[in-house]
Order: sequence, then C-alpha cells, then structure tokens
Amino acid sequence: MKFLNHLEEWFITFLMGGATLVIFVAVAHRYIAGWPIPVLQDWLLTLNFGWAQELCIIMFVWMAKFGAAYGVRTGIHVGVDVLINQMERSTRGKFIVFGLFAGALFTSIVAVLGGSFVWDNGMHYAVFHAIGLDTGTLPEGPTTPDLEWPTWIVYSAVPLGSSLMCFRFLQVMVSFIRSGELPHHDHGHVDGVEETGQVSTEEKRLEVRAVLQGDAQQDEKSTKSKEDAR
Amino acid sequence: MSAAIIFGILLALMLTGMPISISLGLTVLTFLFTMTQVPLESIALKLFTGIEKFEIMAIPFFIIAGNFLTHGGVARRMINFATSLVGHWYGGLALSGVVACALFAAVSGSSPATVVAIGSILLPGMLKAGFPKSFGAGVITTSGALGILIPPSIVMVMYSVATNTSVGALFMAGVIPGAVLASMLGLLTWYRAKKFDYPRQPKASWKERFRTFRESSWGLMLIIVVMGGIYTGIFTPTEAAAMSAVYSCFVAVFIYKDMRLKDVPKVLLNSANMSAMLLYIITNAVMFSFILANENIPQDLTNWLLDKGLGPIAFLLAVNVLLLMTGNFMEPSSIMLIFAPILFPVAIRLGIDPIHFGVMMTVNMEIGMCHPPVGLNLYVASGITKMGITELTIAVWPWLLAMIVFLIMVTYWPPLSIWLPKLLGMM
Repeated sequence: MKFLNHLEEWFITFLMGGATLVIFVAVAHRYIAGWPIPVLQDWLLTLNFGWAQELCIIMFVWMAKFGAAYGVRTGIHVGVDVLINQMERSTRGKFIVFGLFAGALFTSIVAVLGGSFVWDNGMHYAVFHAIGLDTGTLPEGPTTPDLEWPTWIVYSAVPLGSSLMCFRFLQVMVSFIRSGELPHHDHGHVDGVEETGQVSTEEKRLEVRAVLQGDAQQDEKSTKSKEDAR
Repeated sequence: MSAAIIFGILLALMLTGMPISISLGLTVLTFLFTMTQVPLESIALKLFTGIEKFEIMAIPFFIIAGNFLTHGGVARRMINFATSLVGHWYGGLALSGVVACALFAAVSGSSPATVVAIGSILLPGMLKAGFPKSFGAGVITTSGALGILIPPSIVMVMYSVATNTSVGALFMAGVIPGAVLASMLGLLTWYRAKKFDYPRQPKASWKERFRTFRESSWGLMLIIVVMGGIYTGIFTPTEAAAMSAVYSCFVAVFIYKDMRLKDVPKVLLNSANMSAMLLYIITNAVMFSFILANENIPQDLTNWLLDKGLGPIAFLLAVNVLLLMTGNFMEPSSIMLIFAPILFPVAIRLGIDPIHFGVMMTVNMEIGMCHPPVGLNLYVASGITKMGITELTIAVWPWLLAMIVFLIMVTYWPPLSIWLPKLLGMM
C-alpha cells in the first residue's frame, strides 16, 4: 500500500515537471533556432518539436486522472457542505459516507465505460494481435496526429485513473467509518510564515456549526480534546 | 421540463456535500440512463476529449508558477516594497497591506494563501503599531481576493474555457478594473484611517524604495512575463504560463533561495493535486454542459428570457444576484464552469460584450470569496486573527460595500473593462 502511494505521488510529480520542461524546451528551441549561430542553428533546425503540444496534453491528462485519485486521499475535492454541517454529528456522518459512496459509484461507472471504449478502439485488436489470435474484422484503432501513438494507450488513463480513484474513495470511506476522520486539504497553507496556533479551515467550519446550534459546550470539549491530541 | 429535472438532481446531489465534480458527473449519468436517447458513446468520448485542449493546460502551469512563489519570503519582500511606497500616508501599514495583497495575490494566484501569507506577517506588526485588530483583518480579508481579477487569473482561464473567449483579451481586460478596485480599497482604508487617526510610518527614502523594489521585482516580473509574452505574441497564453512556471521555479530556488532544489518535487506534487482537482471538475462540467446543450437548454432559456422582455440592464442585475448567492456556497471555478455556458448565450443575444461579461463574472467570484456564510477568505482570516466569523463579518463590511459599489461600476460601465484590450487591438 505504501508502495502504491509513493508510486502515485512520484508519477504525477514526474508528469507535472516533465510537461513543463517539454513546453519550455519547445518554446526555447523555436526562438534559439532563429539565431544565426553557424553550427548550432543547423543542428537545431534538424530538430522538430511539433509533437510538444500533444505530448504536453497527454502528460497533463494522465496527471489529471491520477492526480484526481491522489486528491481523494488528500481531501482536496470539496463539495457544498453548508447544509450537512448544520446537522447532528451522526446524521452528518451518514451523508459523508453517502457522498464517498457516490464518488466510488461514479468513478467505477466511468472506469467501466472508459474501459469498454478503450477495448473497442484498438486494445482488443492489439491484445489479440500480440498473442497471435485471429483479429478478424477488429479495427486497429486510430493513432494520435503528431506522435502517432495508438489512442487506446493514451486513453487508457481514464479507466486506470478512475479505477484508482474508486479505490481511494472506498479507502477513505472505510477509514471514515472506522475512525470518523476525513482527510482535508488546507487551502490557506503557506510555507515560510510562522504558524502559531493556526486553526485549520475544517475546524473553523465545524466551529461555525457549533455556534449556529448554540452548542458551545460540545465545542469546548472538542477543542480541548484536539489540544490534548496535539 | 428537462432543465428543471437536471438542475433538481444537481442541486439535490450537491447539497449532500459530495464533491461538486462527482455531483456533476452523477447528474449526467442519471439523466443519460433514464431520460434521453443520447448514445452512451458520445458521452464516453467526452470523458477522453473533455480536457484535451491546449488552452486548458494553462491552468496547471499557472498553478505551478503561483505555488513556487507562494512563500512567506516573497510576501515579506512585497510588504517591504509596499510599505516603503505608501507607508507614510494615513493608515500606512494597512495601505501597504492593500498594495502587498494586490501584488502577492496576482503572483500567487490564490486568495486564501494571500490572506494567510500577508496577514500572518503584517497583522502582528499592525497590532503593535496601534491598529485595532478588526481594521487590519477587514483590509487583508478583502484585499486578498484581488488576485482573481489581476492577471494571471485561473478563474478567467475557466471562463475562457467555458465560453471560447480569448484568454489574452480577458487578462488585459482585468488590468484596469484590478487597479481601480485596489485603489478603491486603498482610498477607503486611507479615509477611515484618517478619520480615526491611525498611525503612519516614517517616510522611506528613494534609495530604500529602490532597494525594496529591486528585491520584489523578481517576483513581479512574473506578471510581465505572462502579459508581455501574450501581448507581443511571443507566446500563446499556455506557453506563457509554462514559461512563468519555469521562471518562478528559477526565481524561488536560485534568486530568492526561499526553497532548495530538493523542495521542488514537493511543490510540483502540491500543484498537481490542485490542478488535477480543477481539471476533474472541468471534465465533468464539460459533460454536464454537453447534456445541457444537447437538450437545447441554453437556447430555450435565452428565448424564454427574451420573450419575457428582459433587457440587458435587468439581465445583468439578475446575473449579479444569482452569482452572489451561489458564491455563498460554492468555490469560484465550479460556479464559472456551471453558469458561464448557460448565461453566456443569453448575454450574447442581448448584445453584451463577452469580455465585459467575463470580467463581471470574475468580480462576482471575488466578492463571493469574502462574504459570509462561506467565503473562504473569511475562514482563513478567522484562522489567523482568531476572530469569530460574525465579528470578522462586521470588520469586513465597509470594504465589502466598496466592492459591491465597484461591482455595479463594472456591470454597467463596460469601457472600464474593454477599453484597454480594444486599445491594444486584442478584440
């Protein structure tokens, strides 16, 4: 499990950095190749970066699909929580479980839809071809315009990423049912400033709920237990 | 009829608190499986091609660029520069808070991060100088939202994605309104500081000003790289975003030395997290607006509104009220992606300029960030000031009122936003 987590983080970091460098190099190449420097210019003109945009898009699409799964783990996908934050703790818990389950349901449907799409658009052919079965009238599937990669490989980001995301939703759901804790992302986090007793946004929201319910006592208790936990 | 069903499902799902992207996606699926003949294939295709546009890729790049410069060190440099510039006027530190927020927000691209960075550095100083806490909190909370309007702005990229308008022209159109709003907030701060006789800082020498400017200029150059690059045609907007990402990484690691080379992957991972979330909303919002378009809902809505004899003035008013209300519950990108495709066709039919409409929607998002009950800026400000939300709301209201006045100006005086891009020949 740890291995999967690290692999996921490493993979999206790499895609992010890689795509940036690809575009940077392509733009730099476009301008430097215009400079009349004898040998360098000749060499640069032999290079063709026409595929850079396409590669960047593909890398970012993969980043987006797997990053969305990572985002479930870090709790960055936010919803409209005004209504459920007014509710009793146990009712609120039920809605949260429902929300997480809906996430798992949606991502699993997408994974199946995407998977069958990829299968029909070239994977079927590729697999049968690879293991030497009769491919019959199966379509070979299209390729991407610049890089000429088979699109089914590019598009397999959707079923793969979505399956991972479904798994993450279930994982968060189980851990919420067990411990009552949700991962949450702090939008106001800044490095390099002193964080003396900063209260996270999530705690603030719950605090507001407590105030609205006039439930100051429970709030006091919860902050105290949090302080103890620290 | 189908419009009511679609929005009913969406609203019901959203109110359960599930992620907005998921509720959009489930709405599409529910509608698809039960009520329409749209082939599943065409929706599946949208899953893949939804974000396959080079223009959308500007979003991750801008997020990387912002994250490298979202650092206390950068905030401190901007505060120093702003203080040396305006610190000797009435309400010195508060005024420099407005300026520093505007600069930092433009560079970092995140309103809550701006409130935290500028607020936690500047507020203790303000308290020590003798400002009341509520004054400082009010200034920082509202000024932190300026970043959405001053380019480069991710919310504007969202608008351009949803409506196919030019990102470059939108960015250019945000410049003057951004400066005007910053001046209005500054003026109000100055006026109130003068009235209550709040302290001023000693006047800085020109040498000091130049020194602090040089220090902060590396960060501010980011805006020049983006705007200059797009305007002169050296880069497309997405390329400009990629350049600014590389530039800000270079500045953060080698010039400011706020972070070491080994911190770079961590920043990239955080940026990936944020961008993937936004791209995921985009994917599902694209499917959602595909369904809407397929059911002819935007057109029906347009015709219905025009039949009712709705003029541009009433329409813009209604849009403002609608957006301010939704701004209570949702974050800017989702509002943009859900509402822009629906409202845009109506605006076009009424002869409203697309760029002007975009700037107006962006200003609405900005106000939504800092008004109760769920303005994100309010929450983070309440975190760093340890003031309650109610108390903070009272502290914020003079500036909030100024923002509403500004919104009315932007709404009913189009030249404020479209004069500059027109002058530069970008539209």
